[in-house]
Amino acid sequence: MIFIAIVIGCVIGAVIGIFTPMIPYTYSGYLAIAIIAALDSVFGGIAATLNKNFDLKIFVTGFFGNAILSILLSYLGQKLNVDIYLAAIVVFVGRMFNNLGIIRRYYLTKWENARAKKEQNVSEKAE
Amino acid sequence: MEGVKKNKIISAIKGIAGTKIIMCVIISVICIVLFAVMFMQFKTVEETDITAIENMRETELRTAIAEWKGKYEEAVEQLEANKKTITEYEKTIEENGETSELVDKDLEESNMKLGKTDIYGEGIVITLSNTNEYTIDTFDLIDLINELRYAGAEAISINDVRILGSTFISQPQDGLTIIGGQRVASPFVVKVIGNQTYLSSSLSLKDSGYIDRNRARGMQVVLEAKNNIQIPKNTTDREINYMKEGEN
Repeated sequence: MIFIAIVIGCVIGAVIGIFTPMIPYTYSGYLAIAIIAALDSVFGGIAATLNKNFDLKIFVTGFFGNAILSILLSYLGQKLNVDIYLAAIVVFVGRMFNNLGIIRRYYLTKWENARAKKEQNVSEKAE
Repeated sequence: MEGVKKNKIISAIKGIAGTKIIMCVIISVICIVLFAVMFMQFKTVEETDITAIENMRETELRTAIAEWKGKYEEAVEQLEANKKTITEYEKTIEENGETSELVDKDLEESNMKLGKTDIYGEGIVITLSNTNEYTIDTFDLIDLINELRYAGAEAISINDVRILGSTFISQPQDGLTIIGGQRVASPFVVKVIGNQTYLSSSLSLKDSGYIDRNRARGMQVVLEAKNNIQIPKNTTDREINYMKEGEN
């Protein structure tokens, strides 16, 4: 059910995004930061689900809060003439890789466990 | 007891289902937001000419915009100034057109007065002829010209020789009359352009008028009024060698 919701949401979002007007190039940088922050939250959510400590409140607040905060920080950096968005990208992308690593390791261990079980079954049958 | 347990279980299931539905809705909303923003960004990045602005910082772009704005304003100012000068030129051209029209009119009038163009108009024609009793001499002609000018003649010709201020009438020997360098002889056809009534009445004054006086002396004088008298232009051209404009 959740997967259906995700697919439907993605399709509707893509359609909306295609048919909305273009945003000015000046603001597209902020939007990119917001997207990176949101993606980080999504991967964090997936990792949390796999670790069985997923909390919807944390996920939603993290999703919107990180996006808005990253935009505000980038804006502040623009005003201060410091490229704060670089720091934001480093942090978010680093966390994204971390989460991806967690996901990868989870599925890897799962797969290895499954194989070990199969081998055990085969050896038991052989005996 | 069993019923209460059942109710509890149902409500728990409902609660789980409710939270699940809420979760689904929230996650789909989040997906919608994320993908909408992502596709907006894709489109923006794709459609913006990045190669031109890629290396430019926003501040640089801002200064560039400011520069272009300044240039634009300058251009607009120049355009307005040019428009102003154009209207001024147009005004002066109009004025010049008026003055040149006046000058043209003056020139035309002067040319007519100086006899440089063929002219026509209403007036009278007087024909003077010799008779056996009387031979016309230059003084008769000069007298007539004076009378006609007194009566307001605008243009006079004798035998199609235009009479101007500079035209001379001489009689170097008997029977030879020269007007403005051309030989003329009786009958003298004097064409006059001017007010017909003034001209004819001043010539036809009883006894003292030109016609009566000369008829009494035996000259043949015929006067007729005509509406379309044509006088050719004066062909002689006097060069100016000695006189100069202004005071010495």
